[in-house]
Amino acid sequence: MVFMIGRGIESGLGQGLGKLMNLGMGTEIIYSFVIIFCSLMIYFATKELYKLSSHKGIKYFRQSFLFFAFAYFFRSFIKIILFYFEINELRTFLPIFGSITLFIFMYFSSMAIFYLLYSVMWKKWESKSINLFHLVSLVIATTISLFNNSTIYFLINILFFVFISSTVYLSYKQSKKNKSHNLYIIYLLLFVFWIFNIIDILIPNYLQTFQLFIYLISLGIFLSILYKVIRKTG
Amino acid sequence: MVKRNKLEIIKDILKIIKDNHSIRPTPLMRMSNISSHRFKKYYLELLEKEFIKEIFGKNKQIILTKKGYRYLEKYSAIIDFIDEFEL
Repeated sequence: MVFMIGRGIESGLGQGLGKLMNLGMGTEIIYSFVIIFCSLMIYFATKELYKLSSHKGIKYFRQSFLFFAFAYFFRSFIKIILFYFEINELRTFLPIFGSITLFIFMYFSSMAIFYLLYSVMWKKWESKSINLFHLVSLVIATTISLFNNSTIYFLINILFFVFISSTVYLSYKQSKKNKSHNLYIIYLLLFVFWIFNIIDILIPNYLQTFQLFIYLISLGIFLSILYKVIRKTG
Repeated sequence: MVKRNKLEIIKDILKIIKDNHSIRPTPLMRMSNISSHRFKKYYLELLEKEFIKEIFGKNKQIILTKKGYRYLEKYSAIIDFIDEFEL
């Protein structure tokens, strides 16, 4: 009896590992690992600069990448569960667990983007507290975790994108330095592809055709930011 | 004359101390070229952050700590980084 149970567990684990190691899952794990690695490298590489300067811009910039690391961790966690149990939607399979995981993922995602935006805009937005963005992120996360509706997801992400892109554009127009225009393009691409990453999780199979393309561009964006950071911090 | 920002004022104060090895607060304030009120604010902040240290002998002297030297070393990198990412 014990032997049979042991064999059962063994074959179950074997099948599970098999599922984990298929091409889709392998790509997913490598993709998440590289993005989390880049985000944490950026966070730790800027630690000394922040400790010495206590500069608010550096603080928000670092926090943004810490939140990106958390968000990608939860994103890959959701993806692994979807792959492992061969399901399309986390909430239909594990309702409470699925909603909580989505809530955490959406909160970290929104805050990562808001922190990056705030790092560029903090001088102009000093009157607006960062707590306001925490509140907005909580509202976004709650709405997405409570409603199971693609239209709402699209609407939230479109509003999010309009707000981010208009802010980046205004900041770009006000910037007097020509050399930093590349930075605004990188930030805008980061925001666009991050929203694709969110839609990929919220609406399964919607972007499947472009998934590899989204992953490659996202990796390129994070690696280019890491390169810029390493070049400046040594 | 362009107004100096906080990071630049801190760099200037630390550089004066470094160039003099040790200095008394009053000449430091004079050479820093800032008002006494602002100087006091920066002075307390530098003490709190352990960039400088007070030595009590015949007169009170101020010297740089390791962290203070490190700030001066990294100052260009900090400014470059802020500039690069428009922070």
